[in-house]
Amino acid sequence: MSLKYLKDAVAAGDTEKLIRYVRLHLGDGNEEAGRREIDNAWVEALKPLLDVPPTDREFIHETLSTKDHATLAHLFFDLHFYLVKRSGEWIHDGNL
Amino acid sequence: MMETSKQLHPGLWDTINERYPGSMITKDDYVPLAKLGKPVAESRLAFVSSAGVQPKGTLPFDVAHPVGDYNFRRVPSSSEPSELEIHQLKYPTVGANRDRNVILPIERLQELAREGVIGGLTPNFYSFIGYNMDPERLERTLAEEIAEAVADDGTEIALLAPA
Repeated sequence: MSLKYLKDAVAAGDTEKLIRYVRLHLGDGNEEAGRREIDNAWVEALKPLLDVPPTDREFIHETLSTKDHATLAHLFFDLHFYLVKRSGEWIHDGNL
Repeated sequence: MMETSKQLHPGLWDTINERYPGSMITKDDYVPLAKLGKPVAESRLAFVSSAGVQPKGTLPFDVAHPVGDYNFRRVPSSSEPSELEIHQLKYPTVGANRDRNVILPIERLQELAREGVIGGLTPNFYSFIGYNMDPERLERTLAEEIAEAVADDGTEIALLAPA
């Protein structure tokens, strides 16, 4: 999908087009695979927290407080790929 | 869609748009291939690739960004394949990880230069990733910057290869 297509969708409030693009991006052109990848990332984010291990809250707070919105959104995409890679179920043809 | 360039495979955009609706890119300006100024055996060659190959230790291409990475890397043409790595999600890299020449034929070009089949290699080759959703930005920034760098390197032949 072109950037214009996505910006038009934002202007029109057409979130279905936007989330479809995210699924296609994360699923390498396969929307259903992208949907599963999103679920997989959330499961991988949940698992290490179940035993409530110590985490670096100060780092998280400082990062969220000091970094700009675009950088944090970018980080969100990076964290998605980090988490699905940790899951061991790597669907992509290439490498990060 | 009306085919506007003889350089595109017929029906290519229709295929792309089946998979990525809205990704139609129209190009009305037909750019003819440039003629060689002198024989290949006397010309310096640059290689430009969208394969995401880069020297080890350089910042990996940004494959996570949803709109793409509009930066390129210089790959010294004297590099050994073992000095290079690939950061790209969107094509199978298994074969290229076994032999970089599959996707960036650096040793083959070095051989052709040594044998005098081509006049020589420019100091650098150029690499970027092809997953970019903003073709206008790509043309305005990445393509322009690579073209300038290629020209500054004294290039006489530029070989472009998509991944």
